Amino acid sequence: MINICKSSEIPEGEMIKKEVSGLGFYALARHEGQIFVFPDKCPHAEESLTEQGWLEDGRVICGVHFAEFELETGEVHNRPIGCPNLSFFTCEDRNGDVFALINEEN
Amino acid sequence: MSDVLDITSTFDDLSRPTDAETERAVARFLHAEARILDREAYQEWLEEFIDEDIHYWMPDMETRNRSDPRGTFRYGDTAYFDDRISELRVRIARYNEPSAWADNPATRHMHQISNIEVFETDDPKLVAACSVFTNVRNRNETDQDVVYGRREDVLRRHGNGFRLCRRRIFIVQNVLLSKNLNTFL
Amino acid sequence: MCQGSCQGAANRPNMQPTYPQATAFPEFAALVNREKAQVDRRVFTDEAVYRAELQQIFARAWLFIAHESQVPNPGDFIRTTMGEDDVVVVRQRDKTINAFLNSCPHRGNRVCMVDAGSKARGFICNYHGWSFGIDGKLRGTDGKVYETDEAFEKSEIGLTPVARIASYKGLVFATFDPNAPDLTDYLGDFTFYLDIMLDNDEGGTEFIGGAIRSEIDCNWKLPAENFVGDILHAFWTHQSGAQAILGGGVDLGKRYDELAFQASVYGHGIETNLDKVGNTRTLGYPELVDYVFDLSERAVERLGELRARAIGAISSATVFPNFSFLPGQNTFRVWHPRGPNKIELVSWTIVNKNAPDHIKELYRKGVMMTFSPGGVFEMDDGENWEYSTRVNHGFVTRQQPLHYALGLGTEDKSRELPGHIHKGSLNDANQRLFYTRWSEFMEHDNWSDLQNGETASPKKTNIAAE
Repeated sequence: MINICKSSEIPEGEMIKKEVSGLGFYALARHEGQIFVFPDKCPHAEESLTEQGWLEDGRVICGVHFAEFELETGEVHNRPIGCPNLSFFTCEDRNGDVFALINEEN
Repeated sequence: MSDVLDITSTFDDLSRPTDAETERAVARFLHAEARILDREAYQEWLEEFIDEDIHYWMPDMETRNRSDPRGTFRYGDTAYFDDRISELRVRIARYNEPSAWADNPATRHMHQISNIEVFETDDPKLVAACSVFTNVRNRNETDQDVVYGRREDVLRRHGNGFRLCRRRIFIVQNVLLSKNLNTFL
Repeated sequence: MCQGSCQGAANRPNMQPTYPQATAFPEFAALVNREKAQVDRRVFTDEAVYRAELQQIFARAWLFIAHESQVPNPGDFIRTTMGEDDVVVVRQRDKTINAFLNSCPHRGNRVCMVDAGSKARGFICNYHGWSFGIDGKLRGTDGKVYETDEAFEKSEIGLTPVARIASYKGLVFATFDPNAPDLTDYLGDFTFYLDIMLDNDEGGTEFIGGAIRSEIDCNWKLPAENFVGDILHAFWTHQSGAQAILGGGVDLGKRYDELAFQASVYGHGIETNLDKVGNTRTLGYPELVDYVFDLSERAVERLGELRARAIGAISSATVFPNFSFLPGQNTFRVWHPRGPNKIELVSWTIVNKNAPDHIKELYRKGVMMTFSPGGVFEMDDGENWEYSTRVNHGFVTRQQPLHYALGLGTEDKSRELPGHIHKGSLNDANQRLFYTRWSEFMEHDNWSDLQNGETASPKKTNIAAE
């Protein structure tokens, strides 16, 4: 697992963007206390989810074609044709540090 | 069927067609009504075809996304007609005035009624009828306005016939392709 | 993404919005003969005149696009037109309102296909999936096609916003001219008269939901000039409607002869009989008359006695070029040009926000009864305007003069009211000034000349609300 950032950097109900050197940009979201980690890239047109999108009712909304990805499962709703599900990474909060299992496949 | 006299409740349960006799009688009623309106015999229309308790509603039909909760029409918003008997009387009073210039010379009218279906309701005195219409009004040399739509009617049994007590009219136009509506649909 | 030094960037299209400039059409300006109070019929039928109107008037005047109440929350939007330009009006996340051309910058398709909606997240073009935020900016395209395209720079592409947008007491206006003066300068002192409708009650106004749209085969200026000052037609055209609702013909009442007037500023005009409830009475609901009587008493403090008398009075008004309303009858409408011989009329009912619900409901029903396609008043207007337009297809007919000379020399400089004031509401003065303004728009290519010509308010030393 890789340490991405401090848990205290993630406000409730919001997403932040973090670069992991050599691997790219990742999004971290907090919803009802729980933290979620996923690529900062919509699988459809690859636009940034943190810059263009937002969190709403337990889903990540892509601000481009408004696909809605369920937090944790990544199941997509309201998707434009060709948009797959969003992958989420196993993550844990170790004493205030957020670690996630980001592997090179992603 | 939910309260069939509620003007806002569009027909949701059309599973009980009436017997053939009633259906024929309703068709006769609607065809006779169309003939009377073609003749502009509005007073007769009011007296012979319309119930005192009439509610006659023709909403503005908007273009909306399928997912829009407001829908393409909504009761209480601006409409073409939303009349009880007193309002219908005022409209007819204008037609009776010789100075109704948009009606002199007379418009040539044709109300075509079709697709008539008649259903029982929970009240044995009331039947629900659906129909579609094509309304043509032609004036002067070439002014022709055609309006198409669907109606949902509630008819109250009256003597050997019926009276219209509720009518919802849904035209299939968003911008009314006509300069006025000098008729009843 | 290319930073600008490669081949692709050099050929990148300039996607900045373009706001066309006005020019000058003195030959069309001359179609209005101010000395002889005549208007050439070609203004109602000529294609070239119409095209010039789209450039000279509709591409630069402040045009009404929405009432604030139609788009109350972020994401709320309506679709409308400015001239013949299709426009989407959207409430932004920061609570301001913006408006954009409803046309994708890719191949031009409309991005908004509906009349209105709420909670929009953005607008996606149905052709190639180009997606725009409610702020008009391009958010992305479909798939990954433009990712590595060197000529594509997303941040430079978006829906063309109107050049300027502003509100006046609930009414939202926009212009395509970045050089247009402020809305309040464009309206000038006419705001004094707009307040009769927009500011007679605490809380301001709102539109009742929904709009009625219809087509009339007439030139847009005929209804606009009708509402700017033609109460005269009501006696004859609307006799049947008045009989049906009131049981009598239209009657201004001799006792208002000294009070009635026409006022015009920059082509905008109002005529009023100052009889307190004359227009409201024609809606046919006595409770509305009571409401307006009461309102006009309470409004003396806000508006002064004269304007308080105007709230429900027999009256009509137009804001140049094509936005009109009837005080007291509460119908607001735009006559959208659709060619020299056709309009799309869109009309709404306006009410005071703080009016009781049953009063708002009576206004809704009253307007349906009177000023709607099935309305007992409006029904008789359409044919007048259609045939006033249509006859001019005749070559000889359209050379004939038209008479706009009622009330010549009735300017009333003694009345302490803003604008050009003429005695009596039965007058062609406002119509003459409407066409003078039209002529100014045809003649001048700059706002300085436009705002300092004959239609500007005469200089007055002391404007007091009576």
